[in-house]
Amino acid sequence: MASAQTHRLSNGGLVDRSAPLNFRFDGKAFSGFQGDTLASALIANGVKLVGRSFKYHRPRGILTSGSEEPNALVELRTGARREPNTKATTAELYDGLEAASQNRWPSLRHDVMSVNQLFAPIFVAGFYYKTFMWPAKFWEAIYEPAIRRAAGLGRAAGVADPDHYDKAWAHCDVLIAGSGPAGLAAALAAGRSGARVILCEEDFTLGGRLLSDGGTIDGLPAAAWLSKTLDELAAMPDVRITTRTTLFGVYDGGTYGAIERVSDHLPSPPEHQVRQRLWRIVAKRCVVAAGAIERPIVFAGNDTPGVMMASAMRTYVARYAATPAKRIALFTNNEDGWRTVETALGAGLQIAAVIDARPEVSPAHRSLASKGGFPVLHGSVSGVDGGKDGVRKIAVSLTGGSRAEVEADGLAVSGGWNPAVGLTSFHRGRPKWSDDISAFVPDGAPPGMVAVGAANGDFGLGACLSQGFAAGATAAHDTGHNDKAGIAPVADDEAFSLAPLWHVAGKGKAFVDYQHDVTASDIELAQREGFESVEHLKRYTTLGMATDQGKTSNVAGLAIMAAVSGRSIPETGTTIYRPPYVPVAIGAFAGHHRDETFHATRLTPSHHWAVEQGAIFVDTGLWKRAQWYPRAGEKDWLESVTREVKAVRSGVGFCDVSTLGKIDVHGPDAGAFLDRVYINTFSSLAVDKARYGLMLREDGIVYDDGTTSRLAEDHYFLTTTTAKAGLVMQHLEFCRQVLFPELDVQLTSVSDQWAQFSIAGPKTRDLLREIVDPAEDLSNEGFPFMGAREVALRGGLKARLFRISFSGEMAFEISVPARFGDAMARNLMLAGAPFGVTPYGTEALGVMRVEKGHIAGPELSGTTTAADLGLGKMMSTKKDYIGRVMAGREALVAPDRQVVVGIKPVDKARRLRSGAHIIPKGQTPGPGNDQGYVTSVCFSPTLDQWIGLALVERGRERIGEIVHAHDPLRGEDYDVELCNPVFYDPDGGRQRG
Amino acid sequence: MVDFSWTPRSPLEKALVTGAHGARGIEAGVSLTEIRNFDLVQVMARRGKAADMAKAAKACFGVAPPDAPKALQTPDATLIWSGPDQFFVLSKGGKHAMDTLAPALSGSASLSDQSHARALISVSGIQARAMLAKLSSIDLHAASFPIGAAAATSMDHTSVTLWRGADREDGLPAFNLLMFATFAESLWHTMLDSAGEYGVTISHSEDFA
Amino acid sequence: MRIVCPFCGERELGEFTYLGDAKPVRPVAGASEDEVFDYVYLRDNVAGATSEYWYHGGGCRAWLKVSRNTLTHEISAVEPAAGAGAAKVGA
Repeated sequence: MASAQTHRLSNGGLVDRSAPLNFRFDGKAFSGFQGDTLASALIANGVKLVGRSFKYHRPRGILTSGSEEPNALVELRTGARREPNTKATTAELYDGLEAASQNRWPSLRHDVMSVNQLFAPIFVAGFYYKTFMWPAKFWEAIYEPAIRRAAGLGRAAGVADPDHYDKAWAHCDVLIAGSGPAGLAAALAAGRSGARVILCEEDFTLGGRLLSDGGTIDGLPAAAWLSKTLDELAAMPDVRITTRTTLFGVYDGGTYGAIERVSDHLPSPPEHQVRQRLWRIVAKRCVVAAGAIERPIVFAGNDTPGVMMASAMRTYVARYAATPAKRIALFTNNEDGWRTVETALGAGLQIAAVIDARPEVSPAHRSLASKGGFPVLHGSVSGVDGGKDGVRKIAVSLTGGSRAEVEADGLAVSGGWNPAVGLTSFHRGRPKWSDDISAFVPDGAPPGMVAVGAANGDFGLGACLSQGFAAGATAAHDTGHNDKAGIAPVADDEAFSLAPLWHVAGKGKAFVDYQHDVTASDIELAQREGFESVEHLKRYTTLGMATDQGKTSNVAGLAIMAAVSGRSIPETGTTIYRPPYVPVAIGAFAGHHRDETFHATRLTPSHHWAVEQGAIFVDTGLWKRAQWYPRAGEKDWLESVTREVKAVRSGVGFCDVSTLGKIDVHGPDAGAFLDRVYINTFSSLAVDKARYGLMLREDGIVYDDGTTSRLAEDHYFLTTTTAKAGLVMQHLEFCRQVLFPELDVQLTSVSDQWAQFSIAGPKTRDLLREIVDPAEDLSNEGFPFMGAREVALRGGLKARLFRISFSGEMAFEISVPARFGDAMARNLMLAGAPFGVTPYGTEALGVMRVEKGHIAGPELSGTTTAADLGLGKMMSTKKDYIGRVMAGREALVAPDRQVVVGIKPVDKARRLRSGAHIIPKGQTPGPGNDQGYVTSVCFSPTLDQWIGLALVERGRERIGEIVHAHDPLRGEDYDVELCNPVFYDPDGGRQRG
Repeated sequence: MVDFSWTPRSPLEKALVTGAHGARGIEAGVSLTEIRNFDLVQVMARRGKAADMAKAAKACFGVAPPDAPKALQTPDATLIWSGPDQFFVLSKGGKHAMDTLAPALSGSASLSDQSHARALISVSGIQARAMLAKLSSIDLHAASFPIGAAAATSMDHTSVTLWRGADREDGLPAFNLLMFATFAESLWHTMLDSAGEYGVTISHSEDFA
Repeated sequence: MRIVCPFCGERELGEFTYLGDAKPVRPVAGASEDEVFDYVYLRDNVAGATSEYWYHGGGCRAWLKVSRNTLTHEISAVEPAAGAGAAKVGA
């Protein structure tokens, strides 16, 4: 049975008493109402202790009512959805909610680690830097794990997040942050003018401080004005208002980041709905009406549960009808704090005393005090007597030196208000100090942005409305809309007076940063140790570095630093503001891109046929490629691959090679263009012929290779490696548009237009004759090696046929329009059945290329020259081409460069592995005698042993030499013989036959 | 001798399941229709011949090709801007396929057949814009992206061609999306994920919408 | 960051690829090794206004010359590379 809501007012507030919600906190059942946050519901149930602090494990209560909360952090939900460090003050209550307090063991009330408080003198600023320095090797093994166990806040779920997140774009003329009076006024003005408006509100209810503080606008009570205004805005089709959405970042070019908590207020997202959505909003103008954050005053015991920001206290009473205390004391240095007294009295609560740090209070407040029967004490709070059950007594230092005590069960504190300057400062802007309100206010803003109302340091309701309205009208005007904003809503400004007070000297810990347990004395210590710069102060004490990013603590912290270092606050300055303004789940940034959909996937035209064949796939860049096709009874991949290789070498096989990049190079200057991008010459290539080409980077290193065919006088068909397809296209466009714009050449990627298959093996022609129209001459004379032309297929389809070979066998590549790729694979199987046709995957493809000594990705490593690859002779001396000059530099033609060579293990039974270092035989491996490394290896079914390619110093001069392969990663050492890299058919008779 | 059939297969043959997808119990907010077996030709002007190309194209289609990011609908083809001095010709039935266009345009332009290099999807419905906002960084508001507007842009880090066709008969907006064929299945699943919350009707067609 | 492609209009950063300084000009055929070395390797490290090559690969595939301030990220001008599109360049 849920316990009664003992601290709930019987009427008032914005909670729906007809919609009770059950929830659990630390296993105990409670109930609240629709419209509650977890924090307000806990307060309504009289719960004061909600967590233990980070370092000292001190009991903590709820300090605020918003996203600035440093204390009331809980683990929300259970199981895979358990989320640590969730702010109870923003977590919406739902039926069945389960939350647990953090950083305590075995229980919140009896926490073993609270003994840390006894050792508090050692947990001072810079504790980690000072304590865990020596011995260095202890860090990973002992210190870090121990610290992690002891100091962690909540626990992550530890399993994959079951929910989905997505990302979306939005566009508008005017983006508004905040739905308080300033934000709504801005939306009214911009919306009426016809601008496209997006208004983001962090809360689940619109209205901002109007919901807590009320007021009178245009003669209407705030609630009535709010409802009328929201109706007017709702009728505007181009005004979009999103709640539960925090604007967290400002990026270049008017791009903003916002996080929408789509389903956080539900037990779990509905089917097909996301948990959260990340918005990228492109806005021509942005009006920041993000309000201000009330700041604490630093005094001993200011973290006792029951000490609460004055504005939060009245929010709980007025908005949630929940009473944090029955007998409240107020400690304020400004006029605004008194509103809490008015609200509390209005709700029938008792005021124990008002401790006002100012020398005078207004006559109105004085009469309020006499009417309410409570004393006004001029002075400050110097200590709090209380503990985990809350505040009991408050010690007051009166102006003039005497002391007083106040009995109360709650202490509301107001140290003034800090405008929320985060958004306006995210482009490295630094806010400026305003003496009028003793706070930092925006000093300019990123292009297109303006701060209004409390976010701009103007706290009065009237000022918020008029500034917001003016900014909305201006933004609409600036984005090309009419000036039909109409008349601004009007309200009076409240009186404002404040006597700056940051820190009250006293006995006991006085907290500046509640979440990171940074005290006033930590800041004083940092100053004594020379960490006076605010950036040093922040990192040395960790002030403001917790998940709340110091929203309640930063200004107080640097005010204290200013005081102890004898500087003014503006001289002390602020740290740099960086997004995100509130923590954003990594899942939201990832959106759809996780697990299987981490990145987009490309499928070859024969993919689903290969799936039917039981192929094993490998990720090659974005591609899924068939790696091998296992057959029943094969014990491992090597057996399958060996079978595939043998089948090709003795019969015929085929492989989908559609992943190669394919580019149409058109135009009268296509040949001249290719001459400049390849090291060899293409303008001389005859029509219907193919040629292997190699391109360099401008620094002389090999960039990519592939076969390019001339299909017509002004049309070449260029292929790239799979890996470089996109980059080569980009490079060629750079050559066309920037380097050689005088050439008349056009480039088009046709990678996806063609399904291309390699057909290889001595029976290739037999198979092709089944597929290709009998009228086509496939003989050596009719279709010689490196021939390339269009052919007709049986059944009327046209295909392109290329007589090229990567395997060293008699081979063709055939390409058909991609939607026929699936049919081609099936037809090759049908036509090839009499010849034992065997589909082969990338693994067999790789084996055959190593056997043939062809270079591939591991050799095209970004460090090799054409000569290193044994292709130096291809470098034309008769023309300019990209990389030509740099390829001739001294180091790139040095005789001791590492060049491609074959390797064979001396022990024929030995397995080779790529990555092993090549060391001269008889020498001790070391950097001084490292002569290269093994780039590619395979088990060669043809040679019945492992073979490989390696980059070895002067390798080609050392054929026959025995060297040492050293593989420290796998702990292997063995001898290999350097050999000709072409292991198979070195004369090339087979591919030409 | 084996009897071959050359049956074209859409890159979405496997992934596309006709019918309803995503949220049920609401009227589907998004309709996705794959258009199959179209002719698509990329036409790029040769240097100094953009005007000649436009003239030759006008002779073929009755209108000059778009010289800005737009899509022009003619009775038997859609001309879609794809970059400076280049456009796509999208058609059905071979009238404007590679073989017929090449003789008319090859003097002033270079042509590449892309009929098989793309998948074409029509996205329409009351939530079409909301769904596309998850995939596209383009502002698709009616005022910013009117009927006939086109964009060479990216979705899911993949190049696509997007244009707004005529509204559906019920007045709801319709967008067309040409995507690379080898990315199509992946992007399709991303589209389904994006549209799921609105409820989706899935179909395929041999005809343009 | 957003770049106004002269052909496509304003687009988000993700559609573009950065190459680098647009100031160095590729030496003509037959240039000395020193000239080519400068072209390939020597770059100013500018704090302020620069001209950069960006590729609109996620859009119209035009290469662009973008004038950008490295201190403020402000983009003051974007122009297409000479050979973007089909205009005749040179003689």
